[in-house]
Amino acid sequence: MKYKYILYISLLGLLFACEPELDDFEPSQGNADFSVYVALGNSLTAGYADGSLYRSSQLNSFPSILAEQFKKAGGGDFVQPLMDGEYGIMPGKLKLDYKTDCTDETSVGPVPDNGTLDAIAPLGYTVNNLGVPGAKSFHLLAQGYGDFAGIQLGTANPYYARFASSSISTVVGDAITQQPTFYTLWVGNNDVLGYAAGGGTGDTITGEATFTFMMNTIVQSLNATGAKGVIAGLPDMLKSPYFAFMDTQVPFNGLVLTRQGQVDSLNFAYAQLGITFDLGQNPFIVEDAVTHFPRQMKESDIFLLTLPTDSLKCYYMGSAIPIPHKYILDETEANNVNTFIGIYNNVIQGLAAQYDLAYIDMFDMMSDLENGITNDGITITDEFVTGNAFSLDGIHLTPIGYAHVANMFIEGINNKYNSNLPKVSFAQYPSVILP
Amino acid sequence: MLLFLFVVSNLFAGGYQVRLQGQKQTGIGLIGTPFALGGSSIFYNPGALSFMKENYSFSAGVSGIMATAVFRQKDSDYKAKTDNSLSTPFYFYGAVKVIDDLSVGVGVFTPFGSSTTWDSDWNGRKSIQDISLSAIFIQPTVSYKIGDKFGIGAGLDIVIGSVDLTKELPTPVDGQMNLDGSSTALGFNVGAYFKPNDELSIGIDYRSKVNMKVDDGDFKTTDVPSSVTFIPETGNFSAELPLPANLDFGIAYQVSEKFLLAAELNIIFWSVYDSLIIDFKQNNEDFADSRNPREYSNSFIPRLGAEYKISDTFIARAGIYYDKTPTNEDYFSPETVSLDQIAFTLGLSIMPVEGLSIDLSYLQLEGLESDKKYTPDNFEGTYKTRAFIPGLGISYNF
Repeated sequence: MKYKYILYISLLGLLFACEPELDDFEPSQGNADFSVYVALGNSLTAGYADGSLYRSSQLNSFPSILAEQFKKAGGGDFVQPLMDGEYGIMPGKLKLDYKTDCTDETSVGPVPDNGTLDAIAPLGYTVNNLGVPGAKSFHLLAQGYGDFAGIQLGTANPYYARFASSSISTVVGDAITQQPTFYTLWVGNNDVLGYAAGGGTGDTITGEATFTFMMNTIVQSLNATGAKGVIAGLPDMLKSPYFAFMDTQVPFNGLVLTRQGQVDSLNFAYAQLGITFDLGQNPFIVEDAVTHFPRQMKESDIFLLTLPTDSLKCYYMGSAIPIPHKYILDETEANNVNTFIGIYNNVIQGLAAQYDLAYIDMFDMMSDLENGITNDGITITDEFVTGNAFSLDGIHLTPIGYAHVANMFIEGINNKYNSNLPKVSFAQYPSVILP
Repeated sequence: MLLFLFVVSNLFAGGYQVRLQGQKQTGIGLIGTPFALGGSSIFYNPGALSFMKENYSFSAGVSGIMATAVFRQKDSDYKAKTDNSLSTPFYFYGAVKVIDDLSVGVGVFTPFGSSTTWDSDWNGRKSIQDISLSAIFIQPTVSYKIGDKFGIGAGLDIVIGSVDLTKELPTPVDGQMNLDGSSTALGFNVGAYFKPNDELSIGIDYRSKVNMKVDDGDFKTTDVPSSVTFIPETGNFSAELPLPANLDFGIAYQVSEKFLLAAELNIIFWSVYDSLIIDFKQNNEDFADSRNPREYSNSFIPRLGAEYKISDTFIARAGIYYDKTPTNEDYFSPETVSLDQIAFTLGLSIMPVEGLSIDLSYLQLEGLESDKKYTPDNFEGTYKTRAFIPGLGISYNF
């Protein structure tokens, strides 16, 4: 009798003694077909970060993240032109470490991260990630842009040369021969960034007519294959740390004179230009963009991340020596940059509508970052280093930043093509590595 | 005492309350207020203690909680599952009838606790990796019978609590933070019991809020990069965790000689749990106190139970109840996965000799699948929970 009841209770226990279960997420491709995906674009598509394109940054490129999600909904293999090492093919990679400035003050900041570079050699296989660091819109259509012979001459790009199918191939052509079913296109940043990053010196902005024609040709060619796709606009670039950080560190009137002797000699030196100095704070002396004469810095001038701060602190840059204009973006130049971002984004959005593509609005991402974007308790912001969205070069993104971009693409694709791709979590991606 | 050999840590059962303080009561839907079952009245209703039939009453018991929570992230194929260790809430009661109308006793029990272990690298690790809360109540109690039909009682609760939790440091820093603290606090338990005739019994009980205040807890951080000098490696913190007051009404009716029905309503004053504030003693601009909104609401638990006397040796019990989550829509933290729950219970008492009862119980809690969000972390997804709780107890009256 007793055993019967014990048995009864145990049986009931066994009946229900399994773990709770939740249904799985059900991915679907909707009206899209992800079986052959190609990614076209520049350094942001390639996965560039910390001033370099290196193996682990490529593995966290947004197209690579996206392709992993595509695989859950019929996507195929996604081949990237992976480096062997962590230093890329060109010097310039940065890492965070302690550094001591000319006043013997030690702080943590980006310093060169030197190591053995990858050789610039042809890979010999076809890649799905056709992102080429440095590429402007028209470069994607330029024959010879991947020609080894042209690298020295500056007519070819070593990143493209690694995977170009021939010396006369084009990036768009190499995409089309793969008969893609789906593509992402995010290009145009360098058409204005080259100008902006050099303080308006050294490079020019691609004109509206050229940009419109090139973009039209690219999209038309890709569309002719029958592939569906997604096209992204330009971010509000001047809010990135490359343009915004230094201004928070060094005020425009950060030239502090403490002795009358300093004031007198500077007054003497700049008397002809009508510039006078006082004890205390003075605007720095900078090279004017147009006249190339020294002038006082204005509050509207923007210091770039490249500003050599040691020269300002210890070696008379900004006072006896004007700050070269390549470290400064003045108001006119900043307006040019913003005007063209607006023009390009109109063109890109227009193409998305014309060719019925998903459009990703990257412009507002910067204001979202200003307020902070939180996912899984991890907040990324537009702050340099601590914001965790931007890598150490201040323009390109961290793996978490690229994960956010991938989520923006996923959202856009799901909305446009009625697909159901799972998003990724910030918690699964590394952030800026502190020493 | 032998009982302290058991691991003291528990589970979620509506917030972090667990009411497994008597196996007979557990078997009948965790209803206890309208019963005079000897020593265990110390917890369920001190007013009923003076109705103990024999001169001495001792009981002890333990339950084993096997609980699992599963999670699927919103818009994602990411899933996670807790790997909780077995929790074993226990009780011990001893009571003596001093004179006919006056009984005194003492109880040691664990009505609150929570133990949740997620993978240390799971997506919610900024909220919680693992947590264990426990509280041991020691309650000396006195009960007085007024006439034949009415009893009142009161007890003083001396509460020893501890908390141990690990989670990741807030962004932008990686690395872990472990908090470990303990606390002692006081509370009380008062009850009244009314038995107008042989068939009917009614009880009411109020257990006060107990404010567990950790004053000098230890925190330590690990895996913090050396350049992050603003986060101390070790230090102290203070925090408060309120154990809410309970107001219980219960009624039991002996339908026939063999068959009894009972019902109870618990009101749990969860609204005292407004936020979890961890006040670090070593503070700076970049390492601020941790303020985590919880904003719990008061909740009601209706319970139904039945008892059937099979023979002089066997009594079987069963019960059901519905426990609505006290958590807030915007602040559902994975540290306490408290969902709306439906529970059923089974119980069996075996009385081989006069005065001795071996009590078995089984409780199964089904946390209903639900979408929940912790807004400050933008951490959202679907949760579901299930717990199996077998229990064993013994009581001896003489």
